[in-house]
Parts: sequence; structure tokens; C-alpha cells
Amino acid sequence: MSEPVIQVENVSKRFRLRGMGTRTFKSAALDLLLPGRAPTREFWALREVSFAVQAGETLGIIGANGAGKSTLLSLLARTRPPTSGRLATTGTVSSLLELGAGFHPDLTGRENVFLAGAVMGIPRRIMAERFASIVAFAGIPEFIDQPVKHYSSGMYVRLGFAVAVEVNPDILLIDEVLAVGDIAFQRKCLDKMEEFRQRGKTMLIISHDLATIQSISDRILLLDGGRVTGLGRPGEIVDRYKAVVRAQQAGAMRREWGSGEIRITGVDLRDRTGQARDRFAYGDLIEADVHYEARQRIENPVFGFSVATDGGMRIYGNNTQIEGHRIPEVEGRGTLHLSLGPHTLGPGTYLLSFSVHSADHRVNYHRVDHGFPILVEGDRPFEGSYMPVQWRGP
Amino acid sequence: MLALLKDVIQRRELLGILVGRNLKIRYKNSALGFFWSLLVPLFMIVIYAVFLHVMRFTTNLPMLVVGIITWQFMSMCLGDSLHAVVGNANLITKSAFPRIMLPLSTVLANFVNFLLSGFVLVVYLLVVRADFAHVAWLPLVMLTHLALATGIALLFSTANVFFRDTEHVVSMLLLAWFFLTPVIYSDAMVLDNTGFPPSLKALFFVNPMTGIITSYRMALMGWANPGWPYLLLSLVASLAVLLAGALLFQRCQDRFGDEL
Repeated sequence: MSEPVIQVENVSKRFRLRGMGTRTFKSAALDLLLPGRAPTREFWALREVSFAVQAGETLGIIGANGAGKSTLLSLLARTRPPTSGRLATTGTVSSLLELGAGFHPDLTGRENVFLAGAVMGIPRRIMAERFASIVAFAGIPEFIDQPVKHYSSGMYVRLGFAVAVEVNPDILLIDEVLAVGDIAFQRKCLDKMEEFRQRGKTMLIISHDLATIQSISDRILLLDGGRVTGLGRPGEIVDRYKAVVRAQQAGAMRREWGSGEIRITGVDLRDRTGQARDRFAYGDLIEADVHYEARQRIENPVFGFSVATDGGMRIYGNNTQIEGHRIPEVEGRGTLHLSLGPHTLGPGTYLLSFSVHSADHRVNYHRVDHGFPILVEGDRPFEGSYMPVQWRGP
Repeated sequence: MLALLKDVIQRRELLGILVGRNLKIRYKNSALGFFWSLLVPLFMIVIYAVFLHVMRFTTNLPMLVVGIITWQFMSMCLGDSLHAVVGNANLITKSAFPRIMLPLSTVLANFVNFLLSGFVLVVYLLVVRADFAHVAWLPLVMLTHLALATGIALLFSTANVFFRDTEHVVSMLLLAWFFLTPVIYSDAMVLDNTGFPPSLKALFFVNPMTGIITSYRMALMGWANPGWPYLLLSLVASLAVLLAGALLFQRCQDRFGDEL
């Protein structure tokens, strides 16, 4: 194993949020005179983040918006200081926190290239040598002496990317730039990043394009609320992140209501072997333990469930009454067991709902809609629930 | 302190490019370009010459011209420095480089302009046959002026990051400073005025611009009074402002990224 070129130790970053945007003399004076007035709110964008990156490694960074990904890169790019902790980088760092950041609209492409080089500390002589390849990579030779304000947004980002990669840094920090540009340019960027990798350069990449980041990263760092919640093999971390997103999605769709004589206190999902899980393959058996609590003795309650798509469209619903499973009475805590399957769902996210109501359907004791997400994986991407099909002709 | 100086020397190429950028942007898309840095002081000179004449003040045109052109450098630096950091928020939040280059480059860009208008000024003074007997002092005067301008730019570019009120304060401050400095009058008018107590006269010379503008007149117009000690006083005051500016800037520069 080679030496780490990036070391991040216990790094935290706090932002102070003031009531109003910019500080003014008035607010400063009032803060001094009246301490305790409108307390400045604190926001920890990063909390005790530690990791190390080896030379030649590509580290992907994923997480929801606001997880601290961009803050982390800005600390590594040294545009902001950490509140506490230590960051160390070895070698030259080029950052693509925003493509074409620092380009001045009134300057020509050529002038902006040299300005960007100088900002990064690349001697003019070296920039002059690389100028031709920058223009070639950006693919805008006929516009290079035009002010960049006349550029299309695509030309702008191409030039920005070209400058950042052609300055040949040891470490390249990339923040969500794969999302811009057309397909051809994205392909070019990916090729360039692959070439970087082969030359033993270190890259840190933020992206929401999980498939791409999984394929180009050696390891992935997962951030959630400013903390590292995962660091490891790309496939494993991406799956974990997807599970988090599913749980959040379900949280947003979740609805519960009812009169409350019986409450569904929780549902544990398991596979055939009894292992807790929320990912199933096509044809798996889905085992569910439905925990309930009855505040009083209730006779003949009916427990039901339904399966809906991630958009909330119900595709299957059933209950104990329909299936002839009679429950004479319930009182206090208890668990009902449901075996569902082998299921025939196509690949995708599904939301399970559970309910309990009276035998005559008059009283809805408790209902939890879309509260339990599952992921179905399969290589045949049909939609909905599978039914045997046979095609004939023509 | 030394770190700031080291940054400047190591990254002088960036400084050069930023100075060039500032100059290019200022006159981009304007038909008269650089001539505006001559036309603005020229209009000021005409306005004040006519005003002073109408108000029956005794005045002297070369003195007014030297005063306004040298004042112009200071006022432009102060005005531009407000945006030196704030106006480059996208550079600061997205790339790491010595932040001091931003205020420094606005001062130097204005200095280049000042040198060009100074060239026109010297031609004018030759035409009116000014006395260049003490011109050897000119470099020291300009150095003092530059040190003061840099110090002021560091102070105000930093202040404007944290308090946007600075812009409004500066426009009032500039107006007051203009009249407290012998730009459209001479230092002699204050010194020879028996109505002012000596303590007030001493205060007048604590303003480093008093010594600087008076020294320009000494160097370019052969004035002998009030003598070089005033320049030294200004030099000390200017270096103190420069030191204060550098210390403030160094203390605050890490927080620019978070504030912008």
C-alpha cells in the first residue's frame, strides 16, 4: 500500500447562520449591546470526518443534498478553513468545484485560461505549452479569442473542465460536473478521468449519478448529515445509500391514521432464512412479523396489507378475512406472521402498507400506508407483478 | 506578515495577470477606454478651477492639477478596494490562492493608470515651465503614496466583506477627506491662517495625504515649504496604515470563503 496523499482527521466544519444575510454595522452593534438577541444558529456541515486516500485511488463521495459533500471538497481545496481537525494533502491539487468558476465574462477564452492557470499557481510558461491541448480538448478553437460571455453554457463548461484537467494536478477534486454538458462531452470527461486513473493520479469525485460513480470509484464515502456513514467497496456503499434513500422516500409517502384501539407498532421484514432485510430477488419469499398492541379486548379483528409501487399505486391488497384466517380476539401486545410469496414483482422499489380494522369494516383501528419500503432486484425488467405470457406469431 | 510577503513574491505572475485583468475589464466596451482616466480628473480640474475663480479664491492652476491627479489615485484605490474581495466571491469560494492578490492587484492597476496620467501631468508641467528642482524626491513620495493606498485598500476590502455598510461610509469619508486634504488649496492656506491654533495645524499634518500631496508639489513644482520632515511624517503614518491593513487582512482572510 502506498502512502496516503490525502489525510483527513477529525474534521468538523461549523457555519453560523445569522438571521439576515450579511452583517451590518447595525446588527454588529446590536449584537454587542444586546447579547442573546436573535441567537446565531449554528449548523455543522461536517462532524468528525476522518478518512485517508492513497495515491492513485479514486474516491467517490455520495450522499443526499446537504450531507456535506461540497463542504468537504471545499475544505480540501482550501477555500475554507475547517472549524476543527486536520487536513493534509500531498502534491498539487486542482479543483473543479464549479466548472469555469472565476472566468470573467468580459475576458476572452485565452485570457481566462491564463488567469485560471495563474490562480492555480501554474507558471505561465507551462500554461503556454499546454494551451494547444486545452483548446483542443475544449473543442472551441474558433472561439478562443472571443469573450466568454458569448459562449454557450456547454462551451463554457468544456473550457473549464479542459483547464482543470490539463494543468496535470496530482489530486483532482470534482464536484458534480458529470451532470453538465452533452453526452459526447460527458463521455470525453469520463475518458479523461479514466486516463487520469491510469496515470496514477488521485481523484475525489462527488456525483449523484450512482451508476457512473460506482463504476469509476475504487472506494466510496457515504456522508449523511455531515458524518461518514460508510466507506468501502462501491457496490456495497451504493446499496446502503439506496436503502437510506428508500427509507426516506417511504417516510415522505408514509401516512397513518385510525381510532387506535389496536395499533400496529412495527413490521419486521425477513427472508426465508429469517435474516432481516428489505432487498429481495424475484421469486423470493417475503416474511413479515406484524407487531401490534391492543389497548382493550377486540373480537374478530381483520389484519390487511397491500403492495404499492414507489409512486403509491396499489397493485395488490389482501387481508385475513378474505384468506379465511380467523383471529378470535386480541388483547395487549402480540405478533401476527405473514408469509408472502414466492412474489412475482418486477425490479424496483415497492411500498408495503399494513392495516387492522373491524370485521364489518366499520371501524378502522389503525392503518400505516406506504410505511415499509422493499427493493426487488431482478434481471427481467417487466413492470408490476408478473403473469405468465406467451407470444405467438406473426 | 512575512508569509503574506512571501506569497506576493512567489505568486507575482498571478499578481501581474490580475492587474492586467483589472485594467482590461475597466475599459472593456468603452469607446474612449483609457482616456477616461484622464477625462475624469480633467473635468474635476475644470469644475474646481471655475468654482474657485467664481468664488474669488486665489488659486494656481498647476497646483490644482497636481492636487487632483494625485488625489484621484487615492480615491480610485479606495473605491475599487471595496469590491476587490467581495466582487471576486466566485474566485474565493472556488479556488485557493493568496487572497491578498485581490486588493493588491486593484491598487497596482490604479497605480498603472496613475503613472499614465502622471506622464500627461509631467508634459503639462513642462509646458507651463514648472520647477523640477526637487524632482529627485519623487520616487520616495510615490512610494509613500503607494504604501498608504495599499494599507487603505487592505483595510476597506476586508471591512466590506463583513460589513456591507462600508460602501456607504466610504462615500462620505471620501468627501470629508477630500476637503481635509490640501487638494484644491495649498497647505500654506492652513499654516498661514492665524485663526487656527497650532494643535489643529498639527492634526492637519497627521493626515498622511497632506504631506503626500504637498510633497508632490515640492517635487514637481519646486515648492520649498513646508519642507521634507512632513513627507517623513506621512511616510511613517502610511507605513503604520499599511501594517494595520496587512495585520487585519491576514487575520480575516481565512473567513472570506465562509462570509461570501
